[in-house]
Amino acid sequence: MAGSRHRILIGTAASLGLILLWEAVSRSGAVSARFLPAPSVVVATLWTMIAERGLLYHAGVSTLRVWVAFLIAAAMAVPIGILMGSVRWIGAALEPVIDFIRYLPVPALVPLSIIWFGVGESTKIFLLWLGTFFQLVLLVADDVRRVPHEFHETAMTVGAPGWRRLTDVSLPAMLPTLVDNMRITLGWCWTYLIIAEIVAADSGLGFVIWQARRFFQTPEVMAGVITIGIIGLLTDQVIRAAHRRWFRYLVR
Amino acid sequence: MSYLEFRSVTKRYGPVEVVAPFDLEVAEGEFVVFLGPSGCGKTTLMRMVGGLEQPSSGRILLRGQPLGPPDRRRGMVFQSYSAFPWLTVAGNVAYGMRYRRDLTAAEKRARTAHFLRLVGLTDFAHQWPNRISGGMRQRVAIARTLAAGSEILLMDEPFGALDALRRERLQLELRRIQREEGRTVIFVTHDVEEAAFLADRVIVFTRRPARILAEVDVTARLGPESTLELRGSAEFFALRNELLALVRSTDEEEEATAP
Ligand SMILES: Nc1ncnc2c1ncn2[C@@H]1O[C@H](COP(=O)(O)OP(=O)(O)OP(=O)(O)O)[C@@H](O)[C@H]1O
Ligand SMILES: [Mg+2]
Repeated sequence: MAGSRHRILIGTAASLGLILLWEAVSRSGAVSARFLPAPSVVVATLWTMIAERGLLYHAGVSTLRVWVAFLIAAAMAVPIGILMGSVRWIGAALEPVIDFIRYLPVPALVPLSIIWFGVGESTKIFLLWLGTFFQLVLLVADDVRRVPHEFHETAMTVGAPGWRRLTDVSLPAMLPTLVDNMRITLGWCWTYLIIAEIVAADSGLGFVIWQARRFFQTPEVMAGVITIGIIGLLTDQVIRAAHRRWFRYLVR
Repeated sequence: MSYLEFRSVTKRYGPVEVVAPFDLEVAEGEFVVFLGPSGCGKTTLMRMVGGLEQPSSGRILLRGQPLGPPDRRRGMVFQSYSAFPWLTVAGNVAYGMRYRRDLTAAEKRARTAHFLRLVGLTDFAHQWPNRISGGMRQRVAIARTLAAGSEILLMDEPFGALDALRRERLQLELRRIQREEGRTVIFVTHDVEEAAFLADRVIVFTRRPARILAEVDVTARLGPESTLELRGSAEFFALRNELLALVRSTDEEEEATAP
């Protein structure tokens, strides 16, 4: 594991170096603090925002929205994707429609979504679902198709009925890739969330950032952005760790 | 009535004729080896027995009955992806019985232990397939197929990826197990020596479309036992050379037909 410790060390050192450089540039006055406040200022702002402005509440609201929408999308994408990947005519029927919707840029659908759902929570959930479901379902279908045919044939020659092959072969065989794909899609969810919260919200990190922009509070904008970054990084690392734990059998 | 019977079986993929009218009878408990040039249709024939492909014409009969869709009477051991990586060694063996309703949970456990012992993997029962050698994974697959209660083991170059020593050990084990359990085996290989060592009967194929070039009754020539001493004998050597000459002739045929 010396290699991985080495990597962590290099990564930390490089990040620290970058932050120090940023601090130095801001302090030198080469760039106006209005555009580029020093990291120390941003961190201080972050702290006041947590203490006085309920930043954690907004972060919680955003996280909740992301997870609700993501779980709905995943709960639909996994079974539908497995069916699309396993039953040829279902795949053939759904793929063109899904492919079309997948290419629609989510921001372009914001007006339509507001017409349909108003400016409440359902609009945000809908937009996030829109951005993730159609991507994930195609990834799932592809992963199912990539399961080695030997696995299915092994199941058939021990007498597995067709539908049991979905649960006993396709699902476990694709699970590691599925978790990876979910991790990546969850990241995209945040992008769509911020768009949704900027357009129509009175809470959440997107709202906080947009408010700060209106008053030209660059440190607050940055503090908001950094909060999203931290949440993303933590989520990613937790899922990666879980992946290593759940799929220990992959390690040779 | 023979046990397994091919009756004028053919197979085409579009315009390509892969199996010419093919007839063969296999006795119960017999170890038949398919030997032939690459791409001649051996795998196709085997998959048809397993029910994974349908003959274009002709019929395959098992105990006089036409074959239906795949079931656990015809077990497959593949060259790669032979064990599920998400199940332990014991889990893979037990998987062979997952859909059997005629066994209680206790019986399934006992059978799992029995077949693990038979293939010498008791100590690896709780290991993941990715952490054991390729030869061990093949043994897992053999145990799973036996545990499923397959009467026929269909083995498509199962030892292809192994080094000579492991291969030899596995050959001995397979032969012993097949005798003890009285199962019928159809075994595909490119290795002449492996064919001579394992088989009761070797079927040598022509190039595509698959026809029988020669049938060699190994048991009649070498006796029913497969031992390492046998491997060094003059009779074995003569048989091996004979098979090699047959395989070579299919290759010359290729050169002769080339423009
Ligand atoms: N699904 C398929 N569609 C089209 N052609 C196929 C298909 N499966 C096999 N073939 C062709 O049929 C021929 C016989 O294939 P098969 O796999 O049975 O040969 P084989 O004797 O097992 O060869 P090898 O020793 O290389 O494994 C090959 O020429 C192959 O290209
Ligand atoms: Mg083959």
